[in-house]
Amino acid sequence: MSEPLTLDLLDKDGAIREALDEGMQSTRAQLFRRSIIGGGTFLAGGLLIGGLPKIALGAPSAKQDVEILNFALLLEYLESEFYIRAVDSGALNGDARLLGFARTVRDHEVAHVNFLLSALGDAANPKPTFDFKGTTEDASMFRATAIVLEDTGVAAYNGQGPRLTKGTLAAAAQIVSVEARHAAWIRRIVAGPGYPNRPGDYPAPAVLDKALTKAQVEAAVGRTGFITG
Amino acid sequence: MENNVKTGTLSLDVLDVDGAIRETAAAVAGDTRARFLAKAGLLGGGLVGSSALLGLNPATAGAQSATRDIAILNYALTLEYLEAAFYTEAEEMAPLSGELALFTRVVAKHERDHVKALKAVLGSKAVKRPRFNFRGTTEDAAAFAATAQVLEDTGVAAYKGQAPRIKSNAILAAALAIHTVEARHASWIRDINGEDPAPTAFDEALSMREVLEAVAATRFIVAPRRRRRRRRPQQTPTFTG
Repeated sequence: MSEPLTLDLLDKDGAIREALDEGMQSTRAQLFRRSIIGGGTFLAGGLLIGGLPKIALGAPSAKQDVEILNFALLLEYLESEFYIRAVDSGALNGDARLLGFARTVRDHEVAHVNFLLSALGDAANPKPTFDFKGTTEDASMFRATAIVLEDTGVAAYNGQGPRLTKGTLAAAAQIVSVEARHAAWIRRIVAGPGYPNRPGDYPAPAVLDKALTKAQVEAAVGRTGFITG
Repeated sequence: MENNVKTGTLSLDVLDVDGAIRETAAAVAGDTRARFLAKAGLLGGGLVGSSALLGLNPATAGAQSATRDIAILNYALTLEYLEAAFYTEAEEMAPLSGELALFTRVVAKHERDHVKALKAVLGSKAVKRPRFNFRGTTEDAAAFAATAQVLEDTGVAAYKGQAPRIKSNAILAAALAIHTVEARHASWIRDINGEDPAPTAFDEALSMREVLEAVAATRFIVAPRRRRRRRRPQQTPTFTG
């Protein structure tokens, strides 16, 4: 995988999206390829079952739950810190709607962190350090980054769902739909009501949401350079 | 949404005597009954109830979970039939404009595609599309937008309630992929309606029974769709020229 990107060398709005979207793009390409192989019978079960990315499944176990919940904790730490800093920076103060989104979502992500910490207890990994490369200090970069973080969060949880024990899955399912609500919300703030690049900009851009493997998500997050230690 | 989902005081039998709600509910009840019987050691090689209803041959190992997955898929299909019909009818009948019209077009397509996908997976085991009466909510923009919000929030809670009950990983992955799309729809219409798109940090799940009772309370499902063999001449215009 490529080294973490230095965002200031890249296109302002496109940088993080590009980095984090890389995993998504390959998934999308796989889906597309499979739907073509399916002979245009896009919905003849191919998309729904055969077309979904293959997730490497270990048999669900308490041990595997801990590993996955720590992965979720890392993402929730990343999100919560991103929103905390963005709200605190004052960069969103000129846009009441955007600030309202950031405050609400910040509180949700903090609640998710606290939930995961309580579920993991002593098994919780320590909180990393972050460098958001200026994306929490500029409204435009904040918006673009929030979309990608939320979409990636949805895909990450969806990828882990089948690897969880059923009890943990029930809890994760209560979080993932909230992430999806966040994703749709910020997408509407950014592109609505006109959605110039439809349908990719829609709050709900696809019939089915993607799933990403842990490795795909970690690689995408790694490329942002947001996690510094 | 503050408890827009009413969990009903209404009896399914009264509202839906012949309907798909009962058919789906029976699949659930059948599953419960089967598990009870299995626990009590009364169940031999096969399942009663849901398996008979769904036309399965359950006499194989793991049949119970497979049967339950099929019941869950048919439950999801019923909800998707309802959503698809609701939006498709609104596209035709409601005076929608601007972003609400766009939302409706996009979501209608999603729900129709969810129906097609679920039917493709279920094959001959798919329940039939019910008949619907949306009681005016597809003809008025405000009623439509409010109803869409309830349907989407309920859909999210419904998938969430079933995900941990699904045995097959492939079906679970598919259900999760739909679940978050419903959540995106819910957030979208809530924001259009001026409501909080993400009202809580943790979305609640609803059980199959809670959802079916809420659906029954809407009286949107009126009967299963049937071939009508008998002509009703009084409804045929007579030409007396």
